[in-house]
Amino acid sequence: MIMNLLRWFSVKGKSLFSMAFSLHRLTGVVLTIYLCMHLAYLTSIRMGKEVFESFIATTVTPQFLVFDILLVLAGVYHGVNGLRLIFHEFGLAYENRKSILYVSVAIVLVVWLIASYKMYMFVMGV
Amino acid sequence: MVTDKNEMHTKRVLEPLAWLFQLISGLILTVLITFHFYETHFTSHEAMKYGLVVARLSSLGYKIMYALLLFFVAFHAFNGIRAILLDTNFGAKYPQVVNSLCFLAFLIAFGYGSLLLLAF
Amino acid sequence: MDVEFKVRRFDGEKSYWQTFNIPVKKGMTVLEGLYYIKENLDGSLAFRASCRMAICGSCAVKINGKPRLACETQILEIGSRLEIEPLDNFKVIKDLITDFEGFFKKHEAVKPYLIRKDDNYEEPVELIQTPRELYTYYDFSLCVKCGACYSVCPAAATRDDYLGPAAITAAYRFNADSRDEGEKIRLALVCGDNGVWRCHFAAECSEVCPKQINPAKAVQKMRFKSAIEMIKSIFG
Repeated sequence: MIMNLLRWFSVKGKSLFSMAFSLHRLTGVVLTIYLCMHLAYLTSIRMGKEVFESFIATTVTPQFLVFDILLVLAGVYHGVNGLRLIFHEFGLAYENRKSILYVSVAIVLVVWLIASYKMYMFVMGV
Repeated sequence: MVTDKNEMHTKRVLEPLAWLFQLISGLILTVLITFHFYETHFTSHEAMKYGLVVARLSSLGYKIMYALLLFFVAFHAFNGIRAILLDTNFGAKYPQVVNSLCFLAFLIAFGYGSLLLLAF
Repeated sequence: MDVEFKVRRFDGEKSYWQTFNIPVKKGMTVLEGLYYIKENLDGSLAFRASCRMAICGSCAVKINGKPRLACETQILEIGSRLEIEPLDNFKVIKDLITDFEGFFKKHEAVKPYLIRKDDNYEEPVELIQTPRELYTYYDFSLCVKCGACYSVCPAAATRDDYLGPAAITAAYRFNADSRDEGEKIRLALVCGDNGVWRCHFAAECSEVCPKQINPAKAVQKMRFKSAIEMIKSIFG
């Protein structure tokens, strides 16, 4: 059965739409796992100032920046692609689906690059 | 096979409502998560200091915003997992197990997160 | 010139690749290539074909990863190396022949015929339909049941009882037909767990349909209709 699930992510002979779907599913699962981690990590707020601030000091560092940037890419992609899906699932603009896909990907890249830049500047203490 | 008229109504309405709410919660989340990210990263370098975090958690306005964010994100995430599981043969054979597990996961996530909001 | 055909064969027990070199002239289709192999190189090669003009849907196979009708695919347009495999998501019987029993059963299950209260073979009635009414469903009526859409659907890949794009498109084709009176019956048939709710708009079906009928659009419309009907049913 796992081999079958991997077929959700096969791209040979498939169009960009399949890849968009696979990425949407993958980022959704990744974000759900992150949600659980985030909720757990927030418990440290209840444990007091030292615990919370040491957590922040460990995670808001240049070493974790790569993970943060990838996470933001996953989040922005899932959100913007999701908006594209809402559009189509409500019955609008199937004929223009290729252009809408390209525009969505462009928006994802622009928003992600801006967010990553801001995070980079923040972590580097600028 | 459906036997009871009431059961038929509930059963028949779960899927379309879940689908619609998945789309609506997705829409709302794009706004709430952007705001949450903006709040924690784009306002000031002090935004993640303990004092300010607690100040936000103690204020009613933010509590409501966080509660809504938690509700919509927990629903969207676990309904998404539910859809993924129902797409498999396992989900075809045991839909009730999948529905119950995902609902339970949603309750646990929402409950656990709310503890934080209630603590301040 | 010579073109390499790498065909995935299956003898009932094991699957293996076999390569053939075929002399190709401009205008030769993949189906003609398969017939050349069968007639001159290996008579045991098994594949389905009938009309040779893209109307029966029998010869759908995966060519370099993408499902296409072999009879309307030009060899030289693809290249000098072709990989031919049976369609995904179907059980392989032999070589390129797959089991379509389930696919046809699902199509039958959505009642793909006009349902009317005044159905009377003894006294047939002429049913009037304007061109505008025809165009609302005409595209969806062109389906040749080739199975290409079903073979690329990610939901069909992991859930065997999913109705699939072709069946749901057929249901929509009749629901949108102004002469039909069986809309509620068909909505009830596609609104189960194995119906419209399994689609997540991967839209690959619309990309591979040889008739370009856009099954993804039909499934979305069917889902929207199902949602409205099911929610309305709470209010009786």
